[in-house]
Amino acid sequence: MSGDHFTIALAGNANVGKSVIFNQLTGLHQHIGNWPGKTVEKAEGTLHYKGHTIDFVDLPGIYSLSTFSMEELVSREYIATEKPDLVINVVDASLLERNLFFTLQLLELETPLLVALNQIDMAEKKGIVIDTKKAEQILGVPVVPTVAVSGKGITEMLDLGIDVIQKNRKISPLKPRYGKELEERTEALIKMLDGVDLEYPARWVAIKLLEDDKEVQNEVGPLNSKIVKTATKFRTELETFHGHSCPTVVTSERYHLANYIANQIQTITEPIKTPFREKLHTATTHKIFGYPILFATVIGVFIAIFSFGDFTSALLGDFFFGLKPAFDTVFGTDIIGQLIWGGIIEGIVGGITVTLPYIVPFYFILYLFEDSGYLSRIAFLMDNLMHKMGLHGKAFIPVMLSFGCNVPGCLGCRIMETTRERLLTAFVVTLVPCAATSVIILGLVGTYVGIPWAMALYAINLVIIFVLGRIAFKALPGEPTELIMEMSAYRTPHLTTVLKQTWFRLKEFIIMAFPLIIAGSFVIKLAEVANLLDPIANLSSPLTVAWLGLPAVTGIALIFGVLRKELTLIMLASLFGTTNFALVMTPTQMIVFTLVVMLYIPCVATIGALVKEFGWKKALLITVVEILLALLVGGIAFRLLTI
Amino acid sequence: MELPLSSLKNGETGVITTTDFKGGALCKARAKKGWKKHFMTEMCIKRLTDLGLTPGTEVKVVKSAPFNGPLEICVRGSTLAIGRGMAHRILVDVKR
Repeated sequence: MSGDHFTIALAGNANVGKSVIFNQLTGLHQHIGNWPGKTVEKAEGTLHYKGHTIDFVDLPGIYSLSTFSMEELVSREYIATEKPDLVINVVDASLLERNLFFTLQLLELETPLLVALNQIDMAEKKGIVIDTKKAEQILGVPVVPTVAVSGKGITEMLDLGIDVIQKNRKISPLKPRYGKELEERTEALIKMLDGVDLEYPARWVAIKLLEDDKEVQNEVGPLNSKIVKTATKFRTELETFHGHSCPTVVTSERYHLANYIANQIQTITEPIKTPFREKLHTATTHKIFGYPILFATVIGVFIAIFSFGDFTSALLGDFFFGLKPAFDTVFGTDIIGQLIWGGIIEGIVGGITVTLPYIVPFYFILYLFEDSGYLSRIAFLMDNLMHKMGLHGKAFIPVMLSFGCNVPGCLGCRIMETTRERLLTAFVVTLVPCAATSVIILGLVGTYVGIPWAMALYAINLVIIFVLGRIAFKALPGEPTELIMEMSAYRTPHLTTVLKQTWFRLKEFIIMAFPLIIAGSFVIKLAEVANLLDPIANLSSPLTVAWLGLPAVTGIALIFGVLRKELTLIMLASLFGTTNFALVMTPTQMIVFTLVVMLYIPCVATIGALVKEFGWKKALLITVVEILLALLVGGIAFRLLTI
Repeated sequence: MELPLSSLKNGETGVITTTDFKGGALCKARAKKGWKKHFMTEMCIKRLTDLGLTPGTEVKVVKSAPFNGPLEICVRGSTLAIGRGMAHRILVDVKR
């Protein structure tokens, strides 16, 4: 039988090398999107292999199949309702017990299964030897040792998987059984579930009811409310018997079984020597040395990104603007020509020359860090600081990203667990001065007023972020959650995977930000051609001149800044007709102006990111709050500085 | 001796006695002093147990981050970071 079309899902814990396997299998034939209606990423890819067309779905990295996170819910709904032909459970061979805990849940879902024992080389270095044959006997499904980064075992895995799908290899998956008290009640519930029409296997439903799973209760309740009531009664009985809450009892039983199986199939000997990665872990999470290492790394990365960006940006800029004379001869310099060049082409060129040279290395280094495991160490070190804003350590990652660009910062808020925390983090993130804002802080205040003043502005910004973060934390209803995070062992990043992640992020950025930047440039150019800029400047003068004490033309510059913040400085230079700002602005005006630019509005691309992640209303709310904030802070600063 | 996980010294090991996370004496004393109450939501409990912190499990505190930061712990062979507020509420049995 050939020429078939299969669907294979990859499931497993986070940090087990699942996405590396996915990349090895699908190459560039990938599509990254969202699960319908969810902000959970869905990666799909296709492979043509031995005449078969195989669609792969990379499920999110999770530890369990309950309903407390979107990722878990999406995964289990997918497996139960879409019924993939095979689920490949990618398992970290060096962390067998916890990974088998998840395998048991997949077995409970009664889906065709294959286990890939990944990172088997790392396990061996740790002194763990696994008996694959015995693992196959116990689990009743094929078990293949793999090393994803080098591609070892991937073909065997695929061949075995196809055998399972085509029923050339019979599998008799293990049916997990637990303690007597739990089993009796599960059996009773299974009997009651007979004839109730559900997508999920009856035994799985019965166990989930005992785990107090709200989603399953909502599904079973309307069909037969008696079952839910009986389950509630059983839960109370089990709780009295075991002395723990029923979900904990079920989890304990599962871990007990996972522990038993792990001990059956693995032999642990002492590792030969402390590997380098462990020394690296100790150093980078050290209570004293961890911080200078972090600081030096971040500064080093930013210097690297900026030197690369400056160089490439200048090169690309020279190239594109070198094309202008040629353009002028074709389209002329009348209004239409001006609109096309100034409105559309400059928007595109600006996007390419100013954004990409910084965004590309930025994403690349970010994924290098993520893949190696350093990001979780950063979260560990910064947890306490973020706690003061009601967030936890993971929130520091999007905040850190935002010093480069607010857009990845906003998208990075997805790592937070609850919607409340995502929104709170996003608010904080949009207040962080991005690279473009830094250009203004350093180029205007740093150059013409003095570096200490520029540093003071950064300090003021951080204080504002901190205070507002705290206020937002108190104002938003809901409970704060604390840091619970795995710090998986350091590993060498897999270059192809990192490059692919960079590429997909870049694509996402271009699709989202470029239309906004181009449309924005066009509208402003239109206003300029129609001579609307001066009236706008006059209209905004009560705010800019009377309240903030700035020259009237700054109104125009601030409008341009919505596109990209560094445009405020470029526009200011062209409006004043000089780049020596000392001649046209007082130091106070420069400081006030920079403060306003720092806070006044997220740029269009960031607003786009906010809309994408949180919807129109919340994006608008954040924008309005920040405009008011900028006016307030700017006005106060003006009055304080002119006393 | 039953103690909150947060009071273990670096390198010390304890066995989890309860994961209903009502918190020990230390937690209650601090609550009296007006410490902000951190609730252990159902979600937190589920996430902790899913990561292997079930009753009867051995937990080793590797180290803690400075300024009351999170704890680095070792459970079932994996390394986890958990917030200090949460570590106050996980009770463990320690041999001292």
